[in-house]
Amino acid sequence: MWARSPFARISTATATLLLLVCLPAFAQDWIKTGTGLGVEKVRIAVPDFKASNQDPRNPELLKTFNDTLWNDLKNAGIFDMVSKSFYPLGQVGAPADVKFDSWSSPPPNAAMLVFGNLQTSGNNAVVQGWLYDVKNTSSPQVLGKQYTDTATTQAVRIIAHKFADEIIFRLGGGVNGIAETQIYYVSARGGRKEIWGMDYDGANQHAITTIGSLSLSPHISPDGSRLAFSSFTGASWEIKMFSFDLNRLVAFPRFGATNLTPAWSPDGARLAFSSSRAGAPEIYVVDQSGGNLHRVTNSRGPNVSPVWNRKTGTEIAFVCRRGDLPQICTMGSDGTNVQQMTDQGYAVSPSWSPNGQFLVLSWMRHYGPGAPGAEDIYIMDVATKRFVQLTHDGGRNDFPSWAPDNRHIVFQSNRSGSLQIWSMLADGSEQHQLTTSGSNSEPDWSWK
Amino acid sequence: MASGEIFFEHERWGPSLARSAALHLGFVLAIVLYGWLGGRGGGSNWGAGGGGDAMGVNLVANIPLPANPAPTENVLATESKGVSKSEPKPQVEEPQAIPIPERNAKKKPVPRTSETERKPPPQPTTEATNVVPFGQGGPVAGPYAMFAAGAAKGGFGFTGGGGDFGSRFSWYVRVVNQKVSENWLKYEVDPRIQSANRVYVTFDIERNGHPANIRIEQSSGVPSLDMSALRALERIDTFGPLPSDYSGSRVSVEFWFDYKR
Repeated sequence: MWARSPFARISTATATLLLLVCLPAFAQDWIKTGTGLGVEKVRIAVPDFKASNQDPRNPELLKTFNDTLWNDLKNAGIFDMVSKSFYPLGQVGAPADVKFDSWSSPPPNAAMLVFGNLQTSGNNAVVQGWLYDVKNTSSPQVLGKQYTDTATTQAVRIIAHKFADEIIFRLGGGVNGIAETQIYYVSARGGRKEIWGMDYDGANQHAITTIGSLSLSPHISPDGSRLAFSSFTGASWEIKMFSFDLNRLVAFPRFGATNLTPAWSPDGARLAFSSSRAGAPEIYVVDQSGGNLHRVTNSRGPNVSPVWNRKTGTEIAFVCRRGDLPQICTMGSDGTNVQQMTDQGYAVSPSWSPNGQFLVLSWMRHYGPGAPGAEDIYIMDVATKRFVQLTHDGGRNDFPSWAPDNRHIVFQSNRSGSLQIWSMLADGSEQHQLTTSGSNSEPDWSWK
Repeated sequence: MASGEIFFEHERWGPSLARSAALHLGFVLAIVLYGWLGGRGGGSNWGAGGGGDAMGVNLVANIPLPANPAPTENVLATESKGVSKSEPKPQVEEPQAIPIPERNAKKKPVPRTSETERKPPPQPTTEATNVVPFGQGGPVAGPYAMFAAGAAKGGFGFTGGGGDFGSRFSWYVRVVNQKVSENWLKYEVDPRIQSANRVYVTFDIERNGHPANIRIEQSSGVPSLDMSALRALERIDTFGPLPSDYSGSRVSVEFWFDYKR
């Protein structure tokens, strides 16, 4: 489609000169701004949970639980975590242990306190957890939960995720936490590019497909039961469908030529994808079973990478060709009312936010000879076309995908030297590398 | 000299005057006669019932309106004794003169009449001796909290339930505060506006956390600011379900937005 290396045609000497000219531009300070993250974070203290009995497995389980809970709350983006060095002495395992004054006044100065205990007996681990509003001594309890599961580190991790999600749901304004969500991506660590999955924090990475060919652009269905992706069959790129209910590939029609980037409508009933079965790549929509194929774009030149408006399901954002370079366009899901969202540089990989308000995209705003060629993640308010740059100076960043909580974005970046999956808050802060081994790309965050 | 002749003409108006006087006298006589004759006729029993086809109306001692609901054991009012007690406002006569409001003063809200928002009837005043007297403790009144976002700020108050929602569930109030402020996009306000009067928006939060009945209670006078405040709330799907140990079905929120560039 498009040549993605602007420097390829420039001699090495010119490129070096350009690089030197551009270096000062890279060293400037950045002001981080954004939307959707609130004005004031809740100051929350999370002392380690206490073992409520003597069992040799307790220390290991507690460490897993405490680390997972801490990281989930820290990654949520809505809390100001009180450093553990400020905590008063003594463990807090039950409501009777809470000394309100010592938590609510400096140095901890916490607004919220998360505490609890873990008990292992037989094959089961029982976790009791509380969330207290320590500034409100008359009715402090916001949440009290008890979980029982098998006494394994994996089960305890899930309990920690569930408890963290409950806290985030309460204090985050009814938005479900993402601690139990999954990220699907393409990994070449086995030699071939296959579809892999992992927890949102990078744990539990595992292969999903073993086709032995090339597989790209995974997209999970809204209910999480099926995964659509495109795979090279030897003659053409076809849409493939993996069922998590059956744990195997299920049949999906072949359309011929190159069929890429299947995207689910928010009701899970339709898929949009790009197909070159009629010449240049255009956007087609099919039912989730693969029937009722119809084309929705008919403008000249490639139209690829469709994504649905996840809130309404009535609009599709896609990469359109304007001039010689790809730009982001939106249209109604029937192909009407095409609007161009970007008007400069090289813009690809749109992803619509769950609240329908924003697009996140990968953009080289200055593209061509003499331009730095940095590819960064931006979010754009669809109504006003205002945009905010989220990544800076960090190699090439592409394939952003929104988390269902509207607060996180996962993307691929080569800033660490190899292509890896990263996540960040939707204001560009808290960037974390999730994968390290092999080459990993094209992440897709599950819908719930 | 046609105009001059008018003044010299002798008009004979004596007969006309006589006729006019006779006619007036006739009218007076006719009225007197009608009253005298009519008073003697059968027309005096109208409205007394039983007279021909006329409808009878009988006065009753009082109109049987539905009785006031008996004072119920309303848990909203009595669930928590708290540290303070909400007392009913004394009935004060509205003065005839309406004072000119200050620049940022809030207009008197329209009294609400829905069943859920009606204040509970006054309870007997025999209270335990350990109750803190009214106004000496408990949650603060008025705008419950404030926030600042950039150059703009807002605040809000909660009503609903037994009146102690804000103190019992301050964490929820903080959630509402945060959620509204993060959905208020100040670039929607006309960029030519430097500052504006306060705009008051009221809404209800239903049991499941959805905002409802969003309305401007007092406009700022700047349409784009009013719209940005309304849209901030319309963008919000949910604040999260009301606290599970809160027994009311909804709370009402008043949110004000101050805008200053």
